[in-house]
Parts: sequence; C-alpha cells; structure tokens
Amino acid sequence: MTVKKPDDFGAETTAEQIMVQPGVTVTDLPSASEFETKLMRLNVGPQHPSTHGVLRVVVDLDGETVKRIVPQIGYLHTGFEKTMEHRTYQQGVTYSNRMDYLHGFGHDLAYVLAVEKLLDAQVPVRAQQVRVILNELNRIASHLVFFGTGILDMGALTLFFYTMREREQIIDLFEMVCGVRMNYGYFRVGGLSRDIPDGFVDAAKQFVASFPKMIEQYRGMFAKNDIFVNRTKGVGVLSRETALDYGLTGPSLRASGVNLDFRKTQPYSGYENYDFDVPTSSKGDVNARFMVRLEEMTESLKIVEQALDALEPGPVKDPDRRISLPPRQELETSMEAVIFHFKLATEGFHPPRGEVYVPTESARGELGYYLVSDGGSMPYRVKVRVPSLINLQSLEPACLDGVFADMVANIASLDPVMGDVDK
Amino acid sequence: MSLVERLVDDLKPLGGKPAEFKRMVSVTVDSEHIVAAINTVKDAGFEMLSDIFGIDYLQYPQHQGKRFSVAYNLYSISANERIFIRVNVDDGDVLPTITHLWKGASFMEREVYDMFGIAFDGHPDLRKLITPEDLEGHPHRKDFPIGETPTLFNDGRFIDPAAFRAGLTGQDAGLSGHQGGMRRGYSQDIDMPAPNIEANTNRANPNKEGK
Repeated sequence: MTVKKPDDFGAETTAEQIMVQPGVTVTDLPSASEFETKLMRLNVGPQHPSTHGVLRVVVDLDGETVKRIVPQIGYLHTGFEKTMEHRTYQQGVTYSNRMDYLHGFGHDLAYVLAVEKLLDAQVPVRAQQVRVILNELNRIASHLVFFGTGILDMGALTLFFYTMREREQIIDLFEMVCGVRMNYGYFRVGGLSRDIPDGFVDAAKQFVASFPKMIEQYRGMFAKNDIFVNRTKGVGVLSRETALDYGLTGPSLRASGVNLDFRKTQPYSGYENYDFDVPTSSKGDVNARFMVRLEEMTESLKIVEQALDALEPGPVKDPDRRISLPPRQELETSMEAVIFHFKLATEGFHPPRGEVYVPTESARGELGYYLVSDGGSMPYRVKVRVPSLINLQSLEPACLDGVFADMVANIASLDPVMGDVDK
Repeated sequence: MSLVERLVDDLKPLGGKPAEFKRMVSVTVDSEHIVAAINTVKDAGFEMLSDIFGIDYLQYPQHQGKRFSVAYNLYSISANERIFIRVNVDDGDVLPTITHLWKGASFMEREVYDMFGIAFDGHPDLRKLITPEDLEGHPHRKDFPIGETPTLFNDGRFIDPAAFRAGLTGQDAGLSGHQGGMRRGYSQDIDMPAPNIEANTNRANPNKEGK
C-alpha cells in the first residue's frame, strides 16, 4: 500500500520502502498495514510563547523531522502603509515606530531620512548625532530582548532577567528623552522634536561605562556555556548562497558570511564619522547568529560612546521654516511665524514630485521606506521594505529536515518581530 | 562607468527606458521582457533581490498610461549599487514570476498579489500573504474604501465602524439600523428594523411631546 500524504509533497514513499532494511527479509517483519507511517500536520501558534508574538507556523512532521514548513502571517496586520498615505509627512513618525516596536528608532530614522531626501532638508549635526545615539541604544535594547527571549525558547530562563535589567536602563534613557518607553515618535522631518534634556549625556555615559561588564556576563552565561553551544552549533545552517537566495539581511546574513551593513556601505545620518567594525561569521548556524549579535552590541556601544563625546551644543531642527515649526517665543512677536506655524500644523509641507528610497540598517536587516510623492502634503504611496517579513522566508531552508525542537531555536535566531512582519 | 550605467545600456534592447531621481536609477521595461531584464541584472552582479512592490497610479495627478507599476528593487553587494526595474501593468494583467531566480521573491510577489491583485504566473504558492482569507478586494488599490466605510467580507458580512463603536459603549448606533449588532459579527443583524426616528426626535425635543 502507499502511505497517505498531504498533496503538497513530491514523490510518494511506500511503507515497504521505509520498513525494509538491507539484510532483512521482508517475511521477518510485520505486514505493511501494521507498520504504517504517517505525516502529521501540526499548527504552531499564533498564540504560542515560542513564536514571538502572533506567528503561526504550519509544520508537516515525519516523527520528529520537519518535512514542510509554512509560515502563516497577517494576524497583526494594521495597514500602516495605507494609513500613512492619509496623514501628512510629519505625522508619519506616529506610525513608523509602531511597526518594529523593539527597534522603533530604526523605523523612525528610516522614515525621516526618506522624507528628508525628498525635501533636500539640511539636518543639523547635533540632531544627526542624537539620532545615532538613540538608534544604537535601541539596537542594543532590541538585541537584549532577542537574547532573553531566544534563550528562553531553548529552555534557559535566567538570562531573560539579566537582559531585561539592562534593557530597563536603556528604556529609562529613552523615557528621559521623549517621555515614552516604547512608541517614541521623537524624530521629526528635519531634525528632532526638541533637544535632549539636561543630564541625558551623563546618564548615557554612565550606562556606556557599565555595559561592557554586562556583555562579559552574558558571554559567560551562554556563549561559553557548553549546553548552549552544543544545542546551537550546526543547527539551522544557512549557507551564503541560500541566505542571498532567500533575501536574508541584517545580522542573520552576516552570520552566513556576507559582510553587508548599510551603515558602512551607504552611510546615513553621519555613520561615516564613527569608527566601528562589522562582526561576521562564516558558520551560518544558530550559534553564529547569536554570536554576531553579541559582538554587534559591543560595536553599537562604541558608536554611542564616540557620538556622546562628539556632541556639541547647537540647533536640532532644520532652520527652513517650510519644514520645521518656528520657536514658540517667536509666535508672540512675528506674524510670519504664526503663518508658518499655522500652515505646518494644519496642512504640512509639500515635497516635490518624485520617488525615493533610503536603505538603512535596522537591528533586523535592511529597512527602507519607498516614498512616492505627488506634490501633495501626504505621501501618495508608502512602501516599507521591512526586514522581518523577508527574513522569515529563511525559516524554511533552516528548518527542513531538522528536528522539531530546532525549529524553535531557528525562529528565535532569525529574530522576527511580528509588527514588522505584518505591518 | 558604473555597473548601473552599463546595465542601462544593456537593457535598451528590451525596451528599457531609464529614469533618474536623486541619484536613484530606475529602468522601465516592457512586461513581456521582465524576466529577461531581471535575468540580465542578476547576471551583471546584482546578488540580492531586496523587494518587489506595486504602486497604483489611479489618482496620481496627470498620470498617463497603465494603472499599476510593479518595481523590483535589486542590490549589488559587490558593487554597492542599487537599481529599480519597473514594469507597467493594467488591471487584470498577469506578470511572470521570478521565484526561479530568487526563492525570496515568493513572499514579495504574494504581497503584491494580496495588496494590488496583480497575479504572478508560475508562482509555486500564490496565495494572499497578509489580509484575511475572506477579505474582498485589494487594500492598497487607491479605490479601496477606507475610514468610516464598512470593512467588507464575503457573503454580505461587514463591520460598520460607527455601529461597532456604539455597541462597545452600549449606546444607540444612530440611524444606521445596525444598533450595535455588528459586535456579534452576524449578517442577520443588518436586516433589523430601523430605529423609530420619531421616538428619538421626541426624546431630543421635549417640546414636541404629545403631538
């Protein structure tokens, strides 16, 4: 008899082929019907703790072996792109950071950079430096969640508490700057919404001084831990070719031996002024993806340190009145200022017609906003190239023919954020 | 001569019309040559397919020609250059898939299909990517209703925003006749009798009472 399989599979395997081993005569074995083997279809998620939010994965299992894996997404679809097409350009920062809620500053930065390219805005140096500081701190915070939850998925609880402790310090810094802990909306087209508060630089320097010790602690807790290393080495290997074929970007691509970091190749917001390395690994397994991110935290810290030292007092907004709101005190004395304020607050600015794209490096990979302007005060089309969505496709080559437990490790190592996947 | 400049020349026999804006080069090719064009670009050293996305020019001022554009965002890691290959299509047109060139094109083409209704011929698994199975229409088309318009589903079901909010707060839904019934999500509630307008008016204007 033939084994029943879901239609989606290729060549059929018969029970006889599976059970007959070399050197064993068929008569010694029970009949094929008693020895039937079946593929099992298993639904994982969308409400499963190991799937990082609302990712649903449909897996076909042959025993413990993954034979087919289909991610089903869209449970967190919010229509941000469509919403942004009906809001002014300046209002877009309200939505951008809500996509990738773990690396919100990355999305904010990518969005304002695209609009600024459309407008040819002149962003002051101080604003660029503050953006870099916040973006890199946010990258560290995002990676901390990655380590905490990722290793939690593999059964180790302790590290979660340590990483959350340090993340709390970073979130406190963000709260100091923009008053909120998650959906920042602090960047503006042309600069920042306001200058950083007094005491931020000292608090940030204190964090920068204390954090390397913590990285060493993490290294001791999992990077040099035999249980973790044996659990992750050689699991979910993505070769360089496979990774490029599936469009993988970010730290996961660098773990597969491709040195691609848009902060280096196409510097934006003054990244060319900082001295940092891009950690890569040639192994391409789960372990490498964890290690690359661990090294990246050190590099991000280097950038933050240099940017904090380079900070000079100065303006944080483009002085162009057609882009930035006039200072509050001018409204009382200048009619011009009132007019500009009114026009910006009610209607917003009108960028010229055209289409722009600025690639940036988020904690998850290539992130860019493709904006189409029709000359109006709202973008005609916003297309976000979100890294998590494209990276999620690599789950298939990483998991196929591995055991089911490794799938959980693979999902964790690709670091999908479902807000980023579903938009 | 950069890689992109060379490519622009190579794509001319395929009907390639180059355009440049803010140092971003895009080449529009004929839709029957799209696979050949992408193949040329890939062979020239563009290892990465960054994205595929659609644009609906229905309401674009003074737009002429076909309604949709599909853009392929390609990046060369070795040369650090980016090129956009574009193709214009009308409603109902079908594009050939490029999943045989990059497996990663699968999700991207599915997203375009989901959001714009542009199908890709030869795609191994062409299904909607993000929106629910029973959502009618393609949300990123410019004529897709937004805002206070009901969200449409199959067989006449829809969610009316005003009634939905009213149902949550336990208030009258107004004159829509749904009376918050949408909260339970069943279509039979739509057929409920409209509220008594006169009774409502009387409540609002006590002077008219007794007439």
